[in-house]
Amino acid sequence: MYTNYDLDKFSSTDAKTNVKAEKKPVKSIPLSRQARTKKKFRFLSIGEGLDFVFLLSIAGVLIIGLIMMFSASYPYAYHRYGNSYYFISRQIGFAGIGIVIMFALSYFDYHHLHFWAPVSLAVAWLLMLLVLIIPSGSDPDAPKRWLNIGFFGIQASEVCKFALILFFANWGSIYYKKMHTIKYGVIPALGVLAVTGILLYAEPHYSGIVICLLIVAVMLFLSGLPFKYFIAAGVFVAAAVSLMAVTGKLTYAMSRLDGWGQALEYTTNEMWQTTWQTRNSLYAIGSGGLLGMGFGQSRQKYLYLPEPQNDFVFAIVCEELGLIGALVILALFGFLVFRGIRICKEAKDMFGRLLGVGLMAQIGLQVVLNILVITDWLPNTGISLPFFSYGGSSLIMLLAQMGIVLNISRTANIQKE
Amino acid sequence: MENVLAGIKKRSTILLILILALGFGSIVCRLFYLQIIQGEELSQKAVDQQLSDTTVSAKRGSILDRNGNTLASSASVWKVILAPAYFENDKQRKYVSQELASILGLREEDVYELASNSNSYYQTVKRRIESDERDKILAFVDKLSQQYERLTNVIVLEEDFKRYYPYNDFAAAVIGFTGSDGQGLSGIEFQYDSYLTGTPGRIITENNGWGTTMPFEYQQKEDAHDGNSLVLTIDETVQHFLEKYLKQGIIDYKVVEGAVAVCVNVKTGEVLGMAVENSFDLNNPYEIADENAAKELEKLTGQAKDERMTELLAKQWRNKAISDTYYPGSVFKVITASAVLEENAGSLSSTYNCSGSYIPYEGEKAINCHNTAGHGTQTFAEALCNSCNPAFMQMGQALGMQKYWEYFQSFGFNSRTGIDLPGEGVGLFFAEPWGPVDLAIGSFGQGVSVTPIEMVTAVSAVANGGNLVKPYLVKQILDDKGNVVETNEPVIKRQVISKDTAEKIAEIMEKNATEGTAKNGYVAGYRIAGKTGTSEKIGNSRKPNVKDYIASYCGFAPADDPQIALLVYFDTPTGEAYYGSQVAAPVFAGIMSEICPYLGIETQYTEEELEYVDTVAGNYLSMTLEEAGQKAIQDGFEPFVCGEGNNVVAQVPQAGSKIPRGGRVVLFTTQNSTSETTIVPDMVGMSVEQVNETAAEYNINVSFSGSVEQEGILSYAQSINPRERVAPGTVVTVYFGNNDIDDTVM
Repeated sequence: MYTNYDLDKFSSTDAKTNVKAEKKPVKSIPLSRQARTKKKFRFLSIGEGLDFVFLLSIAGVLIIGLIMMFSASYPYAYHRYGNSYYFISRQIGFAGIGIVIMFALSYFDYHHLHFWAPVSLAVAWLLMLLVLIIPSGSDPDAPKRWLNIGFFGIQASEVCKFALILFFANWGSIYYKKMHTIKYGVIPALGVLAVTGILLYAEPHYSGIVICLLIVAVMLFLSGLPFKYFIAAGVFVAAAVSLMAVTGKLTYAMSRLDGWGQALEYTTNEMWQTTWQTRNSLYAIGSGGLLGMGFGQSRQKYLYLPEPQNDFVFAIVCEELGLIGALVILALFGFLVFRGIRICKEAKDMFGRLLGVGLMAQIGLQVVLNILVITDWLPNTGISLPFFSYGGSSLIMLLAQMGIVLNISRTANIQKE
Repeated sequence: MENVLAGIKKRSTILLILILALGFGSIVCRLFYLQIIQGEELSQKAVDQQLSDTTVSAKRGSILDRNGNTLASSASVWKVILAPAYFENDKQRKYVSQELASILGLREEDVYELASNSNSYYQTVKRRIESDERDKILAFVDKLSQQYERLTNVIVLEEDFKRYYPYNDFAAAVIGFTGSDGQGLSGIEFQYDSYLTGTPGRIITENNGWGTTMPFEYQQKEDAHDGNSLVLTIDETVQHFLEKYLKQGIIDYKVVEGAVAVCVNVKTGEVLGMAVENSFDLNNPYEIADENAAKELEKLTGQAKDERMTELLAKQWRNKAISDTYYPGSVFKVITASAVLEENAGSLSSTYNCSGSYIPYEGEKAINCHNTAGHGTQTFAEALCNSCNPAFMQMGQALGMQKYWEYFQSFGFNSRTGIDLPGEGVGLFFAEPWGPVDLAIGSFGQGVSVTPIEMVTAVSAVANGGNLVKPYLVKQILDDKGNVVETNEPVIKRQVISKDTAEKIAEIMEKNATEGTAKNGYVAGYRIAGKTGTSEKIGNSRKPNVKDYIASYCGFAPADDPQIALLVYFDTPTGEAYYGSQVAAPVFAGIMSEICPYLGIETQYTEEELEYVDTVAGNYLSMTLEEAGQKAIQDGFEPFVCGEGNNVVAQVPQAGSKIPRGGRVVLFTTQNSTSETTIVPDMVGMSVEQVNETAAEYNINVSFSGSVEQEGILSYAQSINPRERVAPGTVVTVYFGNNDIDDTVM
């Protein structure tokens, strides 16, 4: 049933040449047949052709993430909602939806996404626009990041991240020969970034801008954009930040940046308040030591660390499981990213490679940025930890992306385990 | 195409390495730094904010007199703390401020201002509230926590202790007072602060970010250990008499710079009483007790007021008995005489001639005796009883300056006695080089300064057979359960004169108190030994052209087996009388007449004295007139009847009060007869016989004070003022003494 790939002319030829170029052209056998020959996987038809190691790593990270998020969140949940299971029950629900979508997408030939690439970006932008228009809360000064659709809110920037990866994977696979030119390599990227940036700036969601910028940079880098343009981009970013500073509308970001690196050396009452979350994150991490206080034994989650279910969940992980536990989880993340990129760079075609590596890079980047934030090496800007932080949009998008990577793995030229 | 695909692979690998090596690498470094290197520090900070460490105050120990009467004790009070950080809105803030202000009697604006420190968890609203206010606060907290769950911990009460002094100004200089944090600031409170304080305990609980307990079983409790209590050597009754007579003396003799009375056990050095007047209320130590000074202070403003206030407080708190130095005057002759006898520089058979003045050294001015007519030829004993300055100048010369200095030191005048009180002063000797005039005036107690406590300790040495003892105030230290932890034992520092010398001097002093210059200090029935002293406050008077004096009297009883020594000292009497014999001696006698019976010192009346001995009146109430009359006669009284009834409904004096043998007991037989009064006659300047006659005429009773058996002795004061109306039979004490001037004043 997977034999009739609806390949467009570029990728199909690419894939065929590529497969032939491989030293071990084992994968020239149609995947479906190959899978069928592997009798040991027969009973698991759902996993046909999947990279099981990768699937297991996803499962591992997700399960540990859920457990730790629960541990971190129950005191706050109880305090805030009178129900210790408030966050975890919802998160499990999101995970359920996400897993279904993940498996569904693992069957869904990623080449169909060529069509969806521009569409998804348009949808993301539309969502981001709606977020700005439709009032979400009572406080007019609060950031507008969620689109309420009944029982849960969509965080538009989560959709946008994916849309950007998809769009540039598509773009790169089409114009790979012209990527070194300004017209195809730089101008479209700048245009897309400008629109995205303005929409995120309006929310405002500065960390969203940072992560989108990094994603586009990664995609352009993978697509073969010459290094000189990255230097130029750096200059552009510096200029943009300066411009924002000049316009003086940087208040929200400044208030977040204020006290960056000073969480422990606060001097004023105001700074003490501003750096409250970061400081308590550091206290939690430090309290963990080498071996941690033990699972469930965090003290800082008892209303000291605000919203421990969100961006700062890893601080509680560090407190409870210690450096050892934190390193094990980091290793798992690292392995996930490593495995994902290893699979995807061997994808049959350029689109698959760009898309898959981009998606995995996004996870790696978010892990790094999140932990740098909670350890006060980056300003407290609101970057969530994949699979750990509470949030439906994020988790469902992540699992959906994993579905795409799994789908890529079905056809990638690697030894399946 | 293949190049492109290979390029993606290459760039993917680069990207992966960048993310893992740079990204994950820096995270690992950062986590290692935070959790391992900085971990201890951070976790300490986390613990600091998670643990709430509540100090449990230790109760300060009590101060008791030697019989267990409480002189100072502590009781629980509470400090009201507000934690405004819990307020969610201004409405709550206003509500709580309003309620707190009304419970605690504070201004609402002030409380609201405290409540507006919205990040704070610790704003002290009021200190030392007592249990009634505490109960109201607790009730309010209950109500509040039901209304707003978040405000459960917005008000906290911390237990504290407040010091109470049940007798207010009683023995203030000895006991001392405490500061706002319960720390001793003066007197025994300061000296024994470490014993009294105790060890505060702690309760450590783990709290969540909103201050309520966490679900962890974590509570560590260290009990507070209450402070030790002190048993003083002070006897409340003795102290009471000292203060009572000093207060009266200050009024009678218009004393302006205060007065001191110190009573010690001569054998042990235990201080039975130490009164320093004018006193102040230990419960309000910062209030100026002297009304005149307080009024004067009211008129001042600004810095001048502050400065004056500080000055007045320092004066008020000063323990004159141990801090002030003064010229001892003639009292010091006891010391000179002791030294002379001990060194054989003179003997009881030596004679000294007084022509009214004496030139101590050729070419120097003559120094007068108080008796300018001269005492003529006197024996050693007579010289002391006459308090003759020329005789003592001669004794001093016989002794020599070096020996004089040695005895000054050995009697403890040049060093602190070591009494267990803060701020003890030390007497001063002449500055070197010493001149012959120094020795001359020093021999009768001018030019050398001593503190009252040094003086009474030195006289105690004469009384107890020559041993210099260390005076002390704390007898025992008790733990919080009342067990004795430490006992202060008497310390004999050294023998300064032989027993023989001491007994000889004591004998002369007794003679002095019965027939010499010190006889105003005599108490009938007790063998009192004493010496008066009057000294000019040279260079220390209130105004340059005014002469101010210190009148003192130091003695002991009973002379044959001395138990107690008493020093009475008046600083600057401004009335007509200012001599020790006029001012200090009667007060000494008054005090001795009360404390000797109280302390159970045996009476040894002379035959003449027995006539005047007071007898206790019996109870004649509810008897028939006949029965009562007979009983009164049996008891040795003369009954008088007022009213026409048949039964006794009232009597004066009351049953149990003391009247002289043969005195009148007035028996009232009708209720309205009790309103009859009689006038108190003026009985000053009369002989004993005259007083008796006058008292009989006016139908009052007389109690005699002073050495009434002496010939030619006259009364000089009476306890109830003339022309006052009193019930018939009321006892008026009449003081006898002679008005001889006893001292030289330089």
